[in-house]
Amino acid sequence: MKRSRPWILLLLAFALVGSCGKEVPTLYVYNFTVYMPSEVLRAFEKKYGVRVVYEEYTTNEEMLTKLQSGAAGYDVVFPSGDHVSIMAKLGLLEPLDKTQLGNFSNLDAGVLSRIRFDPGNRYSMPYLMGAAGIAVNKAKVKAFEPSFTVFDRADLKGRMTLLDDMREILGAALRLKGHSVNTTNEAELLAAKKTVMGWKKNIQRFDAESFGKAFAAGEFWVVSGYAENVWKALEGNEPMKSNTVFFLPREGGSMYMDNMVILKSSRHKELAHRFLQFVHEPEVYARIAMHFQLPSVNRAADRFITNTPHYRLSDLDRFEFKEDLGPAVERYNRIWQEIRVEN
Amino acid sequence: MKRLSTPAYLGPFSVWILLFFILPLLIIAGTSFLEKGVYGGVTGRLSLTAWRDLWNPAFLRVALSTLVLACATTVLTFGLALPTAYAIARSRYKNLLLFLVIVPFWTNFLIRIYAWIAILGNNGYLNQALLYFGWIAEPVQFLYTGTSVAAVMTYTFLPYAILPLYASIERFDFSLIEAAQDLGAGALRAHRLVLLPNIRAGITASLLFTLIPALGQYAVPQLIGGRNSFMLGNLIARELTVSRNWPLAASLSVLLTLLTTLGIVLFLRFSNGPKTLPVK
Repeated sequence: MKRSRPWILLLLAFALVGSCGKEVPTLYVYNFTVYMPSEVLRAFEKKYGVRVVYEEYTTNEEMLTKLQSGAAGYDVVFPSGDHVSIMAKLGLLEPLDKTQLGNFSNLDAGVLSRIRFDPGNRYSMPYLMGAAGIAVNKAKVKAFEPSFTVFDRADLKGRMTLLDDMREILGAALRLKGHSVNTTNEAELLAAKKTVMGWKKNIQRFDAESFGKAFAAGEFWVVSGYAENVWKALEGNEPMKSNTVFFLPREGGSMYMDNMVILKSSRHKELAHRFLQFVHEPEVYARIAMHFQLPSVNRAADRFITNTPHYRLSDLDRFEFKEDLGPAVERYNRIWQEIRVEN
Repeated sequence: MKRLSTPAYLGPFSVWILLFFILPLLIIAGTSFLEKGVYGGVTGRLSLTAWRDLWNPAFLRVALSTLVLACATTVLTFGLALPTAYAIARSRYKNLLLFLVIVPFWTNFLIRIYAWIAILGNNGYLNQALLYFGWIAEPVQFLYTGTSVAAVMTYTFLPYAILPLYASIERFDFSLIEAAQDLGAGALRAHRLVLLPNIRAGITASLLFTLIPALGQYAVPQLIGGRNSFMLGNLIARELTVSRNWPLAASLSVLLTLLTTLGIVLFLRFSNGPKTLPVK
């Protein structure tokens, strides 16, 4: 008898924990690092009397690898467009029940019509869209063309970085020659490789993580990257901020749409639908768009937005959504690897 | 009390090794012989593609530069660790000095790397100091180069190299050096012929503790490497996550494991041979 007592206690403890968990329904959200203001999550918790657990990833690939290697329990995930297609093909996604998502009618019809990665938005609801651009330190670089050709400049050698992202950078090189960022044509890709190898001579490194910080510290004068990372790193650094220009290249390039999807394995599908619907409530979405200063795709939210975004939706007209390339992505992988490893 | 039998001693250790070392290695090796899935993962079919893909001059170049960088780091680390360990073992403030060697561990590894970014940057403390003294006219590019990777790896591994050296020097009976000098050896010769053979175990441990993690390094080249500082660890991570080629990541991992094992075996073979007179 004496020996069994700790087991009983343990069982009791489990029972207690178990019952606590049942009282408050919990939604598990898996999203990019700091990609949703916590006030929005708290507001959702308050409105529906639930708990939201927010976990983060840094890249789509990381998210997909984790889900594929067995990570379970997530309800809502935020893949970019090409990964919506992939996850749908892999059977990971639950078709959305549009009757619970009336706020689809708030979304920009022009934006929805450009979506190829999920025709008719069967599985995904758009969240935020944007494109990578280039930040320039005006104090050090007096004159420059608003184009990726800035990376051809040998006079800026060692003072520039390119994103460590094959679709972004090859996409930019392809676009410069007027090709699609989704091409699978070998000759076009080899020409793009040549362009990027020329840029590689002038950059100090490929960087998708700390370009914002390094730019803000004055380490680099020209960095390719995302506007929100650059401006975030410049917060509180007024002199540097006034010297910074961020532009989207005039030739265009690849753009992204990050979307909300519900996993087939989700155990809280109804709550997940409520979450998607909540994000596109005009005032909630306005808070999100203002927080990141990214262009709003929710027309009903526009009247609540009081600050200026880093760039406008119309600036993205010359950009193209990245699509899933299927097996043809092997060509990209091979070429990007050659770029990274060859001198 | 009855003496425990040998299996009782070896049991827990064997289970541990089997579960957390041998089994994962077998899983990795097995994965390398499977066909890759289009979006990551593997299909159930057997395939040798991952091994054929290894015969790629680009990978060979990465493996070679990894080896060079790891060896340079090891030599640099050992060169700093030996005098340091010697000084500590001979000092009156042993405990304080040892404590100072360990103190950096109180700070997270990544934070220490970011501290190096602040020191080595173009506008970093080192360049500012050099500019201030007028020793350079333009900031020097220390950061984001192969040299900075080797330097920061050296910094990272130094404590691991110092501690085993210290332990063996501390145990060494220094009256033997005096005896050697009484018999006519100069200070340098006495240390070379008497001290070094006696601390061989410490030297071996310190070299291995540096070489092995240096070969598998990922974080340092990722954070402060230049456009060509690509090590095998980075290649494996890229194949696993970005390129979604799990079998190739697995075959590269096996290659890295073999490379490391080969290094250790060769190293132990050479360092165990009889060197000098046995000293008791």
